[in-house]
Amino acid sequence: MKLRVVVTAVIAVALGVVAATASASGNHRQSNKLTVWLQVDAQTGWPDVVAAANQQFQQQNPGWTVSVQYQNWGDHLQKFDATIAGNDTPDVIEMGNTEMTAYMASGAFADLTSDKAQFPNSDHWLGGLAKSGAYQGKIYGVPYYAGSRVVTYRTDLFKKAGITKPPTSISQFVADLQKVGTMEKKVKGFTPMYMAGTDWYSALDWVFDYGGTIATTHAHKWVGALDSAKSIAGLTAYKNFFDAVSSKRAATLDEANPAPYTVFSQGLAGAILGPAWFSCCTGTKYKAVTGQFVMPSHIAGKPIPGFLGGSDLAVPGESGNKAQAIQWIADFTGTTNEQSLQAKGNIPNATNLLGNTVNARAAAQSWFVPQAKHWVDIENGNILRTMLSQILTGKLTVKQAASTASANIAYTLNQS
Amino acid sequence: MASAAETAPRWSRRRFSWRRLGRGSVPYALVAPVVIVMGAILGYPLYSLVRIALDRYGLTELIQHKGVYIGLKNFGTVLHDSVFWHTLLRTIVFAGANVGLTMVIGTFIALLLVRISTWVRLLVTSGLVLVWSMPPVVAVQVWNWMINSENGVLNYILTEIHVGNYFQHNWMETPLSQLGMVTTLIVWGALPFVVITVYAALSQVPRELVEAAEIDGARSWRVFLDVTVPVITPVLLILTSLSILWDFGVFTQAYLLIGQPHITTGNYLMGIYLFEQGYVNANFGLGAAISILMLVIVAAMSVVYVRRMIRIGDVT
Repeated sequence: MKLRVVVTAVIAVALGVVAATASASGNHRQSNKLTVWLQVDAQTGWPDVVAAANQQFQQQNPGWTVSVQYQNWGDHLQKFDATIAGNDTPDVIEMGNTEMTAYMASGAFADLTSDKAQFPNSDHWLGGLAKSGAYQGKIYGVPYYAGSRVVTYRTDLFKKAGITKPPTSISQFVADLQKVGTMEKKVKGFTPMYMAGTDWYSALDWVFDYGGTIATTHAHKWVGALDSAKSIAGLTAYKNFFDAVSSKRAATLDEANPAPYTVFSQGLAGAILGPAWFSCCTGTKYKAVTGQFVMPSHIAGKPIPGFLGGSDLAVPGESGNKAQAIQWIADFTGTTNEQSLQAKGNIPNATNLLGNTVNARAAAQSWFVPQAKHWVDIENGNILRTMLSQILTGKLTVKQAASTASANIAYTLNQS
Repeated sequence: MASAAETAPRWSRRRFSWRRLGRGSVPYALVAPVVIVMGAILGYPLYSLVRIALDRYGLTELIQHKGVYIGLKNFGTVLHDSVFWHTLLRTIVFAGANVGLTMVIGTFIALLLVRISTWVRLLVTSGLVLVWSMPPVVAVQVWNWMINSENGVLNYILTEIHVGNYFQHNWMETPLSQLGMVTTLIVWGALPFVVITVYAALSQVPRELVEAAEIDGARSWRVFLDVTVPVITPVLLILTSLSILWDFGVFTQAYLLIGQPHITTGNYLMGIYLFEQGYVNANFGLGAAISILMLVIVAAMSVVYVRRMIRIGDVT
């Protein structure tokens, strides 16, 4: 009798375990619910735009709810991979434009080519963003917004130093910054231009300004190009600029810790280089004396080519709500919403919506990363950051660091 | 002459009985739920790990939910990767330094606890328990706040007490300084367990033995080496073995304190190497192979611990 009780208990436990395991692996998607993954930028910067899109979607789809879940750039891809493994992907996901290729090439997203007409302004999508959402002639990502990089500076300090006009060349900018630096040399920790040394999004502007690039293709193989003469000239110019006007202590720092606008808001920087939305966070003390201009090139009168960052919206292939996902993306990227994003310092997703803002002017000259499946591994492996810190700390010469990075880039991009 | 029935083993003469069989299998039945649950919780993931380690399992395969069998190729790739061997060596040195510091400082504080007043002991123990109860992620935030180059408390204090000019000093500039900072965090977090356990062991040292040694003229260092250490050696050995296992597999504190933008092959520890290859680069097959290799290394290292545990089990 006792044995029977024990055996029954064992079977019950085993069945419980099996049931628990089975329920964990199944896709228990609540019906009439759309799950959207956006980055935290939307949560802090434009929650009103998200709310407007949700409201519009729910009016068009009575009975549907939208669950917007905000993610961090640092780990959202690992979380997305986990949802793929567990058959529980979101219905819409925001992807950084440099992250798209690996997932498009692997077949993670639904083909939206035949749905293009449903997206407002799709005939005028920004070329750079539209390119990042397309793979082998098919559309997998809808342009969401872009952001260019501009100089955010202290107008009061520049004025006090007798500088009345934005510089038209890098050499003029260096001279201006040195004037500001000399004027403020008694302020402990002050740097004329705060730049995180390993911020490759900014540093590679110099490479492209001198005609260099990151990698090229030859006979269907990627070839590293940071060790080319033009790229080395650009990296050398970057080092010279950094040594002349930035703080040595920042040579190994990254752009997230500390954020350049934090240094600015503490009154310890005359200028910073980064996304145009940096103006939001320069602190109440300096809000009124914050100005922006397009970073000049080494060639007088031209802007420096800047990294065109941005995001696309994609529909994971495993979503069971493709039609609704497309509808939500169309609502979210509608003209009114894109104009709201523009008003908050972003570049809208279509050329017909562009204005004459400093952000839009900076976007006129831009560069982008190689569209390769393994590009994301270059970012994750910090190959560019390592190269920059080696150059700026003098651990390696520009040529040595660039050659090592170039070889690593070629090896990584050519992986099967 | 003995009959065949008499020479046959005793058990063969026992009549088969369902009742006896039932009674004999009760212990097995009682232990079965644990075996089944442990099998499901540990066995299945381990089986999946081995299966994935034998597959090419990247992003494409993840999306298709099906790997491509490639045999032992992933293991070959890892073992031929110079980064793996450098990382292994770095992790052994790192774990050695962490375990050494933890054990020496921990034992020292435990000895101190024996000699201080009850109230002070209570205060110190409370402090240790607070450290113990702090989740690693929170501890990393506290450390980040203290060593921050812009507004860190450490730079401020060192500059104020004129140790040197630490204004905006970057404590995370080189791989060595990064791993050094991680070491301070790990040792700080590991101390409470070691201190409290060694203190408990010290309370088992027979007072009369210490007194006898003292009467015989032994100095305190001699008493410690010849009386105290032999008594607490089993505990020290177990703590050292456990610390080696924990410090070899460190991930959270190192990854968060160094920060992803500064993780490079130059500061990889085994846990980070596994995470970067397996998860960040979405090469799950390779990650699984690294996992299994780590498992083998850790299993080899646990031999001392397991043997010690068995010996303690035999004694009791």
